[in-house]
Amino acid sequence: MAENRLNTVDLDSELSQKSPEEIIEYALDTFDNIAISFSGAEDVVLIDMAHKINPDKVQVFSLDTGRLHAETYRFIEKVREHYGIEIDVVFPDSNAVNQLVREKGLFSFYKDDHKECCSIRKIGPLRRKLLTVDAWITGQRRDQSPGTRTSIPAIQDDKAFARPDDSLTKFNPLANWSSQQVWEYIRSNNVPYNELHDQGYVSIGCEPCTRPTGPGQHEREGRWWWEEATQKECGLHAVNIKQ
Amino acid sequence: MKITLVKKIKQDGSLCKKCEEVQQKMEAAGQMAFIDEVLIADERDPSSPGMELASLYQVERAPFFVVERDGQPAEIHTVYFKFVKEVLNQKTQEKDELKEILNDNPDLDFI
Repeated sequence: MAENRLNTVDLDSELSQKSPEEIIEYALDTFDNIAISFSGAEDVVLIDMAHKINPDKVQVFSLDTGRLHAETYRFIEKVREHYGIEIDVVFPDSNAVNQLVREKGLFSFYKDDHKECCSIRKIGPLRRKLLTVDAWITGQRRDQSPGTRTSIPAIQDDKAFARPDDSLTKFNPLANWSSQQVWEYIRSNNVPYNELHDQGYVSIGCEPCTRPTGPGQHEREGRWWWEEATQKECGLHAVNIKQ
Repeated sequence: MKITLVKKIKQDGSLCKKCEEVQQKMEAAGQMAFIDEVLIADERDPSSPGMELASLYQVERAPFFVVERDGQPAEIHTVYFKFVKEVLNQKTQEKDELKEILNDNPDLDFI
């Protein structure tokens, strides 16, 4: 890794005042080996912004869980062609998927919960990919889930996926943006988007775990709707710590 | 080397679920033998030893481990499997590691 370890806490207070484009520009200027995580949904705005800032430095990867909608596969291909970029489509470990399906079937997530399947189909390949980079950029936003994303910073030290004795920096340039701002950007910049959005899908994930949402429903309600809202169990409440 | 394990007591007085799970795993694997001190971070009491340590090292999740080596700054580990691999030099199952990452980072399921 070429860069020294960043003080992400101090930087976050600075970067969180910046626009997504400024955050992406900072990220691309600071790291040579940096990749954008593209889910095949509205996070395409990250690719559009990065492409305008520095088209030669756009490294993109997508997690193909094997259970995405056909529309999402078509969209990933459309984005690849539209921007003329390589998209590294990463896959889960076939042995792990095979074992899960053999033991629990193809729809175990409806009976247990989605975490076992997600950990095999998403987290495993994500970790493999992130071991190869020094920084990554996500489309995570605070308004996506009131329960789990309320404190997403613009920049963070990603301890979960860092290589041993090394650091990994995670940028969330859209953290402060609302869904409405993202869609205003998509429309005003003629950014291509996943056709599922026109069918009522707000949040797009795997086909069995995603459904369209109705007026007034939060986008989280379109994902894993059969499960109760997850609660963050193990955070040490900052209010108490600071007292 | 001194290793301190900090567990959390929630506002309702119960031990946090993950702290309980980690402790059970550590006991089953005989890893508690490597722990020199266990402190409680009681969310109802900001001056409890674990809360003070969390404040000192700006840790926002539990359980966590503080590893102190002579002449070196303290290392903080909030990811159990990484602690097991990097500090205790023991093997872990990939399946368990991935589940822990997702449990600790519930926002990742949107990626």
